[in-house]
Amino acid sequence: MSAHTMSMRDALYEAPGPRTKRLTVIGTIVSLALVCVGLALVVRQFYVTGQLDAKYWAFFARPTTWLYLLNGFVGTVKVAAMAAVISLVLGVLLMLARTSGIKPLAFVARVIIDFFRGVPSLLLIYFFYLGLPTVGIRMSPFWMITIPVALAASGVLAEVFRAGVNAVPKGQTEAALSIGLTPGKTMFKIVLPQALRIVIPSLISQLVVVVKDTTVAYVVSYPDLMQNGRVLITTNDAVVSVYLVTAVIYILVNYAINQLSISMARRSGNPIISRTTENPT
Amino acid sequence: MADQTPVIELRHVDKHYGDLHVLQDINLTVHKGEVLVLIGPSGSGKSTLCRTINRLETIDSGEILIEGEPLPQEGKALAQMRAEIGMVFQSFNLFAHKTILQNVTLGPIEVLGIPKAEAASRAMELLRRVGVDAQAAKVPAQLSGGQQQRVAIARSLAMQPKAMLFDEPTSALDPEMINEVLEVMVELAREGMTMVVVTHEMNFARRVSNRVVFMADGQIVEENTPDEFFDHPKTARARDFLDSIKGH
Ligand SMILES: Nc1ncnc2c1ncn2[C@@H]1O[C@H](COP(=O)(O)OP(=O)(O)OP(=O)(O)O)[C@@H](O)[C@H]1O
Ligand SMILES: [Mg+2]
Repeated sequence: MSAHTMSMRDALYEAPGPRTKRLTVIGTIVSLALVCVGLALVVRQFYVTGQLDAKYWAFFARPTTWLYLLNGFVGTVKVAAMAAVISLVLGVLLMLARTSGIKPLAFVARVIIDFFRGVPSLLLIYFFYLGLPTVGIRMSPFWMITIPVALAASGVLAEVFRAGVNAVPKGQTEAALSIGLTPGKTMFKIVLPQALRIVIPSLISQLVVVVKDTTVAYVVSYPDLMQNGRVLITTNDAVVSVYLVTAVIYILVNYAINQLSISMARRSGNPIISRTTENPT
Repeated sequence: MADQTPVIELRHVDKHYGDLHVLQDINLTVHKGEVLVLIGPSGSGKSTLCRTINRLETIDSGEILIEGEPLPQEGKALAQMRAEIGMVFQSFNLFAHKTILQNVTLGPIEVLGIPKAEAASRAMELLRRVGVDAQAAKVPAQLSGGQQQRVAIARSLAMQPKAMLFDEPTSALDPEMINEVLEVMVELAREGMTMVVVTHEMNFARRVSNRVVFMADGQIVEENTPDEFFDHPKTARARDFLDSIKGH
C-alpha cells in the first residue's frame, strides 16, 4: 500500500536535480533585479513629478489623519465581517437546498445561486441604494453595502461548499449512515466538517473578495476605509500618497485574513488529514 | 452454535440497475449466531445484497425482515435499524477528521445517547479487544490498513449490533495484515455474533462459517456447509469459480 500513497504533489513535481536548481537560482536573481529596477523607476517618476514632496506626506504626521483612517478601517472590518458571516451561513443553506434532492427546492436554490454569482456586486449595491427606496424599503448605509456584498458572495460560497461536499468520499456518508446517524447528522457531523477543510483555500480567496467588494461602500456613503481615504484626498489634495497608504492597509488586512484562516484550520482539528483511508487499491 | 431464530430474512428480493437485473428473486435467512459466507465472481451482486440489508441500497420488490420486522424505509426508524446492524467496508471508511477514539464513540454518543465519559471507556475497552488501544489518539491516516479495519470493527461493535455485515473486509489489505483482521472476526464468531461475510478467504470460511452461499449473475446458485461446498461443489458455475480462485 505504501507505494501507492505517494501524494499528488510528489507525483506532479519531481525533486529538483542540479540543472533545475541552477535554473531556479538564476531565475530568482533575474526576477529580483527586474523588481528592483521597476521600483526604482516608480520612485524616480514620483520624485520627478513631485509626489514625494513633503506637502503630500506631512499630514500623515498628524494623529487626526490616522484616527480618520482608523475609523474607516473599523468601518471596513465591520462590513466585511458581517458580510462574511451572512454569506457563509447563506452559502451553506443554499448548498444544502441545492443538494437536498427535493427537486423544486433544488431548482429555486440553483436559480438564486446562479443569479448572485452572475450579477456584479456593484449592480446589487445600486439596487439596494436606489432601487429598494423607490418601493419604500429603507435601510442604513451599513446594510446597503453589507447585504449586497454578502449576497454576491453567498452564491459563490454555495458552489464552493458544494464542490467540497462532493469531494468527500461517499464511503464517509455510508459509514455514518451505517452506524445509525440520520442523514442530517451525517451531513453536519461527518461531511461538512471534511468539506470545509477541503475548501479552505477557496474560502480564503472569497473572504478577500468580500473585503475588496466593500471598497465600493462610498456609493452609499458608508464611512469605510476607502471612503475616508477619498475624503482625505480631497481635504489634503494628495492622491498618490493616500492611495498608497490605503492600499498597504488593505493588503495587510487580507494578509491577516490569510494567516487567521490558516491558523483556524490548524486549530479546528487534527493536523493530518489525508485520503489514504479511501480507495486503497 | 446457531439456533433457529431468524435475524435477517430476505424474501423474493429483486433489484435492477437500469437494464441490469442485479438481484434476482433472492431468498435468504440468516439465523441467530450464524456465520454466513457470501461468495461469487466479481459483479455477481454480493455487495449489493449486503448493502440492501441496511438499506444503503433500496430494493425494487420483495421483503427484508430484521428480527421479523420489515426494514423501515426512512427517517428515525431506519436510522435506528441501521444502528442495530453493523457494517464493515472494504475500504474501512473511518471518519477521516476524527481520532480513532472519536470514531468509536461517535455512534454511541450521537445515536444511543450514552454520556461521553462512559462512551469513551467502553470504546477503549473495544479498542483493547481489537488490539489498537495504543492508537486511540491518532487519526485514521496514521494507522496501517489492518489497524484501520480493526478500528472499523470496533466502531460497529460499539453500537452493540444484532448482526454484522462484512463486505470484503480484507481485500484491500496487504497480505501480512489480513490475518490480524480475520482473527478479530473469528473471535467475534466464537462469541456468537450473527455475521454475513462477503469474502474469498476460504480458510476463514471453512474454519468459522456455518454456511456458504454462492452467487452468480444476481442469483443464489448454491448454498451448503463450507466443507461440502468447497470439496464437492454441485454446480458447474461453482466449480469453475473455485478453480479460478484456487490459483491465488
Ligand atoms: N450504483 C450502481 N449503478 C449501476 N450499476 C451498479 C451499481 N452498483 C453496482 N452495479 C453493478 O451491479 C453489479 C453487481 O455489483 P456488486 O458490487 O454487487 O458486485 P459484487 O458481487 O460485490 O462484485 P465484486 O466482487 O467486484 O465486489 C455489477 O455489474 C456492478 O457493475
Ligand atoms: Mg463487492
